[in-house]
Amino acid sequence: MGRKPILPRVWHFASFGAPGVVIYLCFVMAPILISFGYSLTNHNPFSPPAEFVGLENYRLLFQDEQFLTALRVTTILTVIVVVVPNVLGLGVAVLLDRKGWLYNALRSVFFTPVILSSVVVSIIWTKLLDDRGPVNDALRALGVEHPPGWLSDPDLALYSVASIVCWQMLGFCVVVYLAGLQGVPAELLEAAEIDGAGPVRRFRAVTWPLLAPSLTINTVVLLISAFKTYDYVKVVTNGGPGSGTTATIAFDVLATGLDANHVGYASAMAMVMLVIVATLTTIVLRFLRRREVDL
Amino acid sequence: MTAKIRPVAAILVSALFAVPLYYVLVNVFKPGDQIARTPASVPLPPTPANIHAVLTRPDGLFWVSLANSVLVTLLSILVLTVLSAMLGHYLARSAKRWTRVLALILLAGLMIPPQVILIPVTEVLRLTGLLATIQGLVLFNVGYYVPFGVFVFTGFIRGVPVELEEAARLDGASRAQVFWRIVFPLLRPATASVLIFLGVWIWNDFIDPLIILGPSQGTTVTTGIYRSIGQYQADLGSVFALMFLATLPVLIFYLALQKQFVKGLTGGATKG
Repeated sequence: MGRKPILPRVWHFASFGAPGVVIYLCFVMAPILISFGYSLTNHNPFSPPAEFVGLENYRLLFQDEQFLTALRVTTILTVIVVVVPNVLGLGVAVLLDRKGWLYNALRSVFFTPVILSSVVVSIIWTKLLDDRGPVNDALRALGVEHPPGWLSDPDLALYSVASIVCWQMLGFCVVVYLAGLQGVPAELLEAAEIDGAGPVRRFRAVTWPLLAPSLTINTVVLLISAFKTYDYVKVVTNGGPGSGTTATIAFDVLATGLDANHVGYASAMAMVMLVIVATLTTIVLRFLRRREVDL
Repeated sequence: MTAKIRPVAAILVSALFAVPLYYVLVNVFKPGDQIARTPASVPLPPTPANIHAVLTRPDGLFWVSLANSVLVTLLSILVLTVLSAMLGHYLARSAKRWTRVLALILLAGLMIPPQVILIPVTEVLRLTGLLATIQGLVLFNVGYYVPFGVFVFTGFIRGVPVELEEAARLDGASRAQVFWRIVFPLLRPATASVLIFLGVWIWNDFIDPLIILGPSQGTTVTTGIYRSIGQYQADLGSVFALMFLATLPVLIFYLALQKQFVKGLTGGATKG
């Protein structure tokens, strides 16, 4: 860069960069450091003073049945939420990949849940899946004598919550895949057809590799949002039924830190959560990006 | 797939998917006892009673939360647009190594779960006297969402030729004038993306207003819905009406700017 900067560097940072950076540091980066500090203490705002306990919180965490359960719940939820909307979203996008008012309207149908608040989505589904709600009424009308307790059966509730998240995120995947499909050159598909490739072969050999960037975006967005699942759990099941059947780590952090006031312990949990999500995102991003470059 | 099956399949799949949306829509316009008896039926004749009940609640819950939501959302997205456009300009136009480090630190913010920082944030806000205030929530929103804004703006500013800025400087424009009069108007698509996405996210946000505004102070529409569902469990009609009314502004916003919305969402996907 031999060019002289258009603005003096210090002035440029002080006036253009600093305001945003300072607020970001105060409200995101500093709290992470404070949280890490807390995680090394037994801090509880209602019984001061806090003592330094070193890595004790972390040691306890990995023997804590409740935390290990939350880890398991979060893992199951994340796997479902990353896979299902991706797969179904691709299917729906292929189905809707046509021009015309009908397909435009149907795209809007799938996208509407994306712009709804997760609280609204949670309440709608809580009512729908209630033991005596419309879904079970319909099942009874179809002759099912004992329809499942979608939200009251401890073995089932987590899968119901995961389905709700999938329903809301599906439209996002559909739109991203549709955009990807529009980027597939028609000449390539025609050339493949002339070479005798059937629709399945054309999809696997031409379309799917070109959708790599869409897959990357969807996977990373789903991964991050699945990992911080809180609203649905709070509204739909409040962590239950029973103990911890649907409590994610994100849910446990706030329950431990704000409801039970064990701030030190909750902060250790938050740190573990941060490390997991950062590691996972980095690995997935690397892996998927390499796939894009290899084309 | 033959030309005849596709539309039929598309309509069937979409109809199945839309059942929950249908369920809300029909029940907003039904009296409470009908919601319990026939939740799936079409409201004939439709009644505005639920909506009327929510709008005229004696505690004014809807109007108070609406005012709070509008205030929080507007203030947040205005400050966010200005700050992230300027920060984006700094990052795009300065090629020092530390700029790249700064960009990475900001990028990391895109994946930080709010739960990790909320507990210390409430303490920072308590110390500064901003806990349970609109200003506190707005400040937090700005800090938390600035990485997204910067991410969008930086890419766009790289596409604006530096020569344009240099020419304007030679013509005697001040640095601020160059940015706000020349560069910023060229960033309209980025600005639209930032305003739309952050507007919808902040409007729909639940956890941050729940914890930062707290129970005693004003609520936003989402926290208002959450609290009323506990208090008015039996009155389903009001719950549905409240959800409908709280979603209406976002829905109108989205329908008006649908093209921009989808373009913003897929900009990254198509460009890779």
